[in-house]
Amino acid sequence: SSYEHKLNFKKSKEACLSYIQDAMLQKQWERAAEFLTFYVESLEKDYSREHVGPSEMIWRIGTEILCHHSHSSMKEFNCFMEQMKTFGVKRYLKASILNAVCLEHVFHLLCNGQIDEAYQNLSLAESWRFGEQTAIQNKEMKLIQAYRGLLDYYSWSKQKNILLEHGKCLDGFADLSVEQEMHNCFRKAAVNLKEIIKIPGVWDLFVKCYVDLLEFYGDHNEARQVLNEYAYNSKFPANPNAHVYLYQFLKRQGESKKSLISALKILHDIVPSHELMIDFNTMLRKSKKRKRRRLGLEVIFAVLDYAGWKENVKAWSCLARQVKQIVISEKHLGWIKKEWSSRKDWWPAFHFSRYLAKRNWQENESLSYEKALVAGILLGKDCKYFKYVSHQGCKAQVKRFRMLKKFVNRHNPVCLRISG
Amino acid sequence: MEFPAALFSSYFSAGPPREEDGSAPAAGWGEHGQVLEGRPGPRQAQPAFVPRRGGTGETWDPAEAAAVPVLPPSAGCWIPSPAPQDILYRNSLCRELRAGKGGATLDFAKQLGHFFVDHPEDAFGSMGRLLHKNFHLGNSKLTVSIIPGVAALAPTVPPTSVLSSLQRPARSSTIRMTALMEDIDRLEARRGCHRQHLASRLRWFSHLCRDWLFEVPLGVLADCLHEELMLQWSDLLFDDSLTGGALAWLPSGDVGSRTGCLVHPGGLAMNHLFFQDVVLEKLPCTQGSPAQFELSGRIRQVAAARVDGEDFVGVRSDYHCGVWRVPARTGTAPTPLQVIHTDVPASCLTVSPHLPGELAVCTQSGTIYLWSVETGLQQLRHDPQTMFFRDHSPWRWSDFTTHPRVLSYADRTGLQCLDARAPKKCHFDLFKVGEEAGCQKGERVVLPMYLGRAHPSQYLVTTQFSVYVLDERLPLVPMLKWAHMMKAPPLFAHLMPGDSRRSHKVVLGASRTQELLLMQYWGERWRDGAPGSACQLAGTPQKLHTISGCLEHLPTQLPHRHHLLQQRLGAPAAGLAAVLQEDGTCNSMLVFQLSEAGDVFCQRLTQEAAPPLEKAEHSQEPCASPQPTPAVPSPAAALRYRRWLRALSRDCREPSQHTWPPSLSQRRLFTRKDLEGSTGPSALQRQVRQLLRQVMQEGGRIQHWEPMALQPLALPQPPEPTGVQDPLSARLTAAWSGDCEQWWEDRTSFSMAQRQRALRERRRRQKRARGRSSLSASFTSSLTYQSELSELSDAGPALFSPGRPPPPSQEGSSPARSPPARSPPASPAPGEALLSSQSLRHRGIPKERRKTLRDYLSVWAEGPPDPPDLPVSQASQLCIPSSQSQLSSASQTRRKRPRMGF
Repeated sequence: SSYEHKLNFKKSKEACLSYIQDAMLQKQWERAAEFLTFYVESLEKDYSREHVGPSEMIWRIGTEILCHHSHSSMKEFNCFMEQMKTFGVKRYLKASILNAVCLEHVFHLLCNGQIDEAYQNLSLAESWRFGEQTAIQNKEMKLIQAYRGLLDYYSWSKQKNILLEHGKCLDGFADLSVEQEMHNCFRKAAVNLKEIIKIPGVWDLFVKCYVDLLEFYGDHNEARQVLNEYAYNSKFPANPNAHVYLYQFLKRQGESKKSLISALKILHDIVPSHELMIDFNTMLRKSKKRKRRRLGLEVIFAVLDYAGWKENVKAWSCLARQVKQIVISEKHLGWIKKEWSSRKDWWPAFHFSRYLAKRNWQENESLSYEKALVAGILLGKDCKYFKYVSHQGCKAQVKRFRMLKKFVNRHNPVCLRISG
Repeated sequence: MEFPAALFSSYFSAGPPREEDGSAPAAGWGEHGQVLEGRPGPRQAQPAFVPRRGGTGETWDPAEAAAVPVLPPSAGCWIPSPAPQDILYRNSLCRELRAGKGGATLDFAKQLGHFFVDHPEDAFGSMGRLLHKNFHLGNSKLTVSIIPGVAALAPTVPPTSVLSSLQRPARSSTIRMTALMEDIDRLEARRGCHRQHLASRLRWFSHLCRDWLFEVPLGVLADCLHEELMLQWSDLLFDDSLTGGALAWLPSGDVGSRTGCLVHPGGLAMNHLFFQDVVLEKLPCTQGSPAQFELSGRIRQVAAARVDGEDFVGVRSDYHCGVWRVPARTGTAPTPLQVIHTDVPASCLTVSPHLPGELAVCTQSGTIYLWSVETGLQQLRHDPQTMFFRDHSPWRWSDFTTHPRVLSYADRTGLQCLDARAPKKCHFDLFKVGEEAGCQKGERVVLPMYLGRAHPSQYLVTTQFSVYVLDERLPLVPMLKWAHMMKAPPLFAHLMPGDSRRSHKVVLGASRTQELLLMQYWGERWRDGAPGSACQLAGTPQKLHTISGCLEHLPTQLPHRHHLLQQRLGAPAAGLAAVLQEDGTCNSMLVFQLSEAGDVFCQRLTQEAAPPLEKAEHSQEPCASPQPTPAVPSPAAALRYRRWLRALSRDCREPSQHTWPPSLSQRRLFTRKDLEGSTGPSALQRQVRQLLRQVMQEGGRIQHWEPMALQPLALPQPPEPTGVQDPLSARLTAAWSGDCEQWWEDRTSFSMAQRQRALRERRRRQKRARGRSSLSASFTSSLTYQSELSELSDAGPALFSPGRPPPPSQEGSSPARSPPARSPPASPAPGEALLSSQSLRHRGIPKERRKTLRDYLSVWAEGPPDPPDLPVSQASQLCIPSSQSQLSSASQTRRKRPRMGF
């Protein structure tokens, strides 16, 4: 019957857990809290060996309830967290989970603006050493250190601002102590941030801070190396931000156009729809090199393939401008033809349907102007989109639409060569 | 669309998924994930942080106590799909043996048995015809007849064949099946006990016949059946054919309109497609009759997308996919455009949100097609193997991405994106079940969905454990991951896009458990010109009402109706759709749920006021407790329930004959010939009938049978006056009052007196009867079988004289005597010929039983009290012990009589 007793006990525990779950999913936090106290009580009477699961569950559920319970306060939350930590140490909670408990506590404090408390907690957690160092635990520890580094960075930047703002009026002594404090923060932050960004991952926040530190102290080579590593190390995920940060750094450094273009070219290859592609196109369009201008056309066509850019006036005007240029010069019509050939079976329906003509005209006149220009060139003057928009534009007596009509009519033979 | 300026931190490593960490029931709670600097501002002294999870979302409160039916129940009675108990092997012994081991045992033998019973022609048609002479299905005993060289079991065949020497070979080659059936029954009773000697005869028989008896070779048949059974079982565990859901909502084209069109399957086989216009009020109401299309297969999925102001609706059944076009204006009829047929069941059909008339189709053979109504099918890929590691599931899925020419391609192991213009060369991995996304061991992709309406480059992937939001621009690393804690994998999802001020909302739905979960997330918000922030989960997930939850709010039903209703409302969900209505101060959300029974239920959630954006920033502010769910349905909802129930009972009444008490037709027991008797109505019967008819015409009563001079009938005797209680009651009464001894003394003396009195009475009656029925005696002698009346009188129809109550039962009646006492014949009934011994014999009352009957009667004859109203003909015979021998001789001679032309 002891087996039966155990079974019943297990069943009632499960039932209790499902009640808690149910209450939480219906946002009845008070009810859930009540059930959770029952659950914890029942666990205290349970002498079986499976403690790890429930204690993690209690931590998760308890945290969630305390976050939403109408009567909970930050103090209670902190108290609960401390209890969980001591409970975890006593009951041999998995070290990785204990680290996670610490981190989550820190996140909670950070989100509530209690930066100093968070910092204390991080320092405390860093000093804990117990159990065997598993890989996961190691990872969590690295994160704890990284977040401490991040907070060090914030206090560094605070002191830097103080120094910059009051540098002139403060006397030398105070200036010196602040400066010393600042360097102190820099060192602590740099050590920890440097560590984490060596490990493959998404570390946008840490990389940005670290690069900022390095740049301030003039260590541009190190910064460049860090950013290159972050962007081009194949063990890291293909994070577009890594390329963006590198590009922005290069731009700040006043690097040559060539290196900027090559940085953006790689970004174009991994994310053709990135918003920097507009800048890229502008840069390329103005270039004297034919190859770059051609790349520019490719880039802007590729951007407009994506649904997210469908109604972007900037992108359409970039395309319209470049296409118009080519048509006027009647040079490199082949470029357009090549780009168009892989799109002519679906762009008309995707961009230039009569429905869209109507809608664009109603909602955004300049968009419809740019699009009509492109449509007129790519599809000829009989294209539905062009016909509708130019007709409406002329009816509304807008000058540029008349010009547009004239332009397309004049260049229709050229246009036919493209679409043909 | 800008890429967020900074993403939440995460580790990234490639490799197989991790071991699970055992906190599954609560894995989705209590985490912030990571934090990110929220609002960098030079003026602020301290940086503000935002969490990846745990931010405040919108508060949605249910407006009703339970889901409310939208449509009347579909006509005809729904037949539930097989339940686990239908195909599982159920045995307490087995259960105990298996206890703790897990895994189910399928009842293979029962299903094979069902097949043999349901399709005997297919199972043993020709063999059965060949052998039917050799199988004896009678009840007669077996004798062993020794034929030189062969020892065979043979039944005792009817005497004719015994006599016939020609029948001998047949006799030696006939098997009595009854014994086998008994053995099978016995085996059935001892299921699970496989002791050999119990089934030796069966083993012998199956060993002998297994190879040739069956029309279809047993091995092949068993293989097929087993395969089917496994398929059914795996469908029961997880039916992925429903992925995507068969319910779609097409909003009206006009802005601010409160109408729309609900596309749903219906009909008994779920093979009718309905386009029902619906007006959204507090409770949605149907408008007009729906456009209806009959399809040739069960509808598994309905997918819809709006392109250029027109809705394109794709419908998938197992072997056919079709596409309809629905103009946005309400009231215009949907037009079917095209249908394709697939050789292998299709597992996915999605409609392009970019180009009109474009769809993606996947089949279970691992092929993906881009289907354009104008240009037809284009095969993009064919690969029966799964992508990243081996998985047995043939399920494939495809959806569109932000680039109209790039399609996603999914199997259980992950997602790839491939370019339709060069599918072999251009592709990249979007999601992998592995360490990259922090997956658990055993995690599998359940439903991928393009979230284009919320963000053009985002993707939703659900697994049985978690929900992921992916961004095509940063493949493999989930933007958001959350353990949904649902009991069944979410097969359906519906997106309600938000904007920069409102969160995106996703409703996840499971099939078997009907669970519905509302989750919210912020996707890359723009803020004051600053680049968008990364994806964040907003608020806590919220459980919505299920269809089965409304059972407790329905009016109380009779138990069997309640059970039927429970079954119906508990049918697995088959689809999900949701509508968001923004209406100034009060926003509302309507969530429709479709069940496999074809019922569409709906629930409304309301949001009091849009949360101020500032509040959303401050994550951990304890939000006010939401309004409690109303405890009882509103009057409008109650009315809906009543109407729905009424319609349901009306529809289901006709075919539910099986719920009526079973009635047996006697035609199956007795043939017409049997009932008529071999000789046709006797003269007596004819006379009686004529009399009856005459009396009925006159509206009179039959007081006596005197007019029948020919047939002097014994008058029914007055019932024995029952002055005393029956002995049991008397004894009990005595025992209660405590003078049991007194009763016993009374009893012994009483019984003496009673016997004497009874004897006297009997003698008196005998005398009187003899005097009255002299003719009857002669009649009896003329009809040799008259003696048998004694046997039959108990079974014959009681014919009471009108106006006279049935005689009370006799005291101290033993079981043997009770039949005559219960239905004493008023006379040698006119219907006696109807129940003559001949017809009785025809009816198969065996000889042994007739003997038993006589034995009863003889006991009765010896018993002290005479039945008071026994006809003299019987009584006289019964009183004489020697009549038994006469009877038996009579019965022996009688056997041959029909053959002798009687």
